[in-house]
Amino acid sequence: MTRLLRQWTKPTVIYALVLFFLLWTVAPVLWIIIMSVQPEINYVSVPPNLKLSDVSLRWYGGMLAQPDFVASLWTSTIVSFATMLFCLVIGALAAYPLSRLNVPHKNIFLLFSIISRMIPAIILIIPMFLLMRSFKLLDTYWSLIIVYSAFLLPYVIWMLKNFFDQIPYALEAAARMDGCSRLGALFRVIIPVSAPGVVATAIFAFIGAWNEFLFGLILSTNTAVPVMVKLSSLVSTTFHSDNSLVAAAGVLAMLPVVVVVFALNRYIIRGLVEGVKY
Amino acid sequence: MSRVELRALAKVFGTVQAVKNVSLDIPDHAFVTLLGPSGCGKTTTLNMIAGLEKVSGGEIRVDDQVINDWAPHERGMAMVFQNYALYPHMNVYGNIDFALRLARRPKDEIDRRVRVVAEALELTHLLDRRISQLSGGQQQRVALARAMVKEPKVFLFDEPLSNLDAALRTRMRVEIKRLHLQLKTTSIFVTHDQEEAMILSDYIAVMRDGVVVQYGPAEEVYRRPQHYYVATFIGKPRMGTIEGRLRVSAEGVRFTAGDLHLQWAPTEADGPAQDVPAILGIRAEDVRLHAADADVAGAFRGRVGLLEPLGSDTFVEVTRDKQALTVRIEPDRRVQIDEAVTLELPRHKLHFFHGETHQRLAV
Repeated sequence: MTRLLRQWTKPTVIYALVLFFLLWTVAPVLWIIIMSVQPEINYVSVPPNLKLSDVSLRWYGGMLAQPDFVASLWTSTIVSFATMLFCLVIGALAAYPLSRLNVPHKNIFLLFSIISRMIPAIILIIPMFLLMRSFKLLDTYWSLIIVYSAFLLPYVIWMLKNFFDQIPYALEAAARMDGCSRLGALFRVIIPVSAPGVVATAIFAFIGAWNEFLFGLILSTNTAVPVMVKLSSLVSTTFHSDNSLVAAAGVLAMLPVVVVVFALNRYIIRGLVEGVKY
Repeated sequence: MSRVELRALAKVFGTVQAVKNVSLDIPDHAFVTLLGPSGCGKTTTLNMIAGLEKVSGGEIRVDDQVINDWAPHERGMAMVFQNYALYPHMNVYGNIDFALRLARRPKDEIDRRVRVVAEALELTHLLDRRISQLSGGQQQRVALARAMVKEPKVFLFDEPLSNLDAALRTRMRVEIKRLHLQLKTTSIFVTHDQEEAMILSDYIAVMRDGVVVQYGPAEEVYRRPQHYYVATFIGKPRMGTIEGRLRVSAEGVRFTAGDLHLQWAPTEADGPAQDVPAILGIRAEDVRLHAADADVAGAFRGRVGLLEPLGSDTFVEVTRDKQALTVRIEPDRRVQIDEAVTLELPRHKLHFFHGETHQRLAV
């Protein structure tokens, strides 16, 4: 009897805990999705009065009809992709010598690159603003791409270096014997072999850029406003009294990240859990 | 096919001198092995020949051309690596034709060459497979094919057999030997396995601490080791040795170690008179086993300590105080543990090394 009990209690407890944590993380997302397809009166009443018959996508239509919101989605997409590419190319070119070559003081470099990220971003807001203003880059895609890349690169370099470290030296030696230059070996062999890691890193950079808020708020005012900043202005501006609209905007803002993560799910898990399997 | 010469080759990593003053002449068509324990500088030497490591000093010449600063792929060499180092993101065909594609050879030529090599190594039916779907032996053959397809002037092997299980290792060893007999391409092979070195090589360079201790034909390295280290590193079982004192005089050769006195009548091969601390060495197959009361020159009388029957031979360890020698006998000859026996150490099979410098003594 006790054995049977034990046999059953253990998995039950584990599943209950998993369910609890799942609800904890998913509930807010679920709630915003519900909000985005119901009239406000249904979910502000106590207790909530959710009706299947009231489900509608009209708030999504409303948001997508606003040109400045669509423009902000577009800005975030371009800036995030560009940041991701920038981070991957520069990150790979930095991570490779740090992983492979006998670079003097490379540990100090690695340490400082990560220490630089311990400074709270808000401290750097003013110098960044002044820098971008003097380069006449305020309110452009470039200011965001440059700043985001600068902030994400230390992580990207660390991650890529880790993945490259796991690739046997002989593989690269073989590529060089076969006619690759060092750079050729990097792009033809090392990066393809560490694809899961590279993809995981790419997504990390993409999400990092997509979710960034603070610098977007300061560096962009009109033409290059990222969606996260736009979203906050929707919440704070009083004339938008319809919370369903704001919720729909929120869902639209997180959709690209969700799509990317689901599409490359396999790589992310392999990249982050196993590292590169050679 | 090419001659490779190393002239005072050296490699320094920071403060560590990994390779010191290595000079070797590797004749055309020869199969040369760099043999030594791990950390002796043999792989570093090979990597310098390949162009994967920069040379700190000295010269590498191929057919009288100094190639120190040539890129790896310009040297006309192909390398087979320890863990195969096959490209996991390509199939077998992609691995084999990679170098030819990089060299921008015409498509039909690439295909023809890949198929010829695949045929020779029985890989044709595997060309579409992914590397992860191959067995260890198949991967090894792909690695060989990848090297062969380049039709290199020199083959370099970096311990290609050390990760295989015993049975496969024996088979691949034969395969490499057969390949060399067919292609006759100059080959440089790195290993720590003396048996592998003996079986494969025309010449062996025994290395230690970044230095070549002895370089010569495999047979000579085995038969006339110039250094105590070479003598004990090469050969299975290990050469039997006794530390003592050697006296060469008009009365012949006399070796004493504690209360062990060995005496041989004078011969023409005795060399100059000397009286030095020395190490006597003799291989198990050169020792002869006699009954305890046998009267022979250079008799080592002791008791049987250990029997190692291998089927084809039996190795018998005979001990006397703290000294021990091993003798090889026919498997059908019977001896008992603890039986008293006499070992005959024939004069012309003996090796003497200086007790301090460990160099071979001319005796």
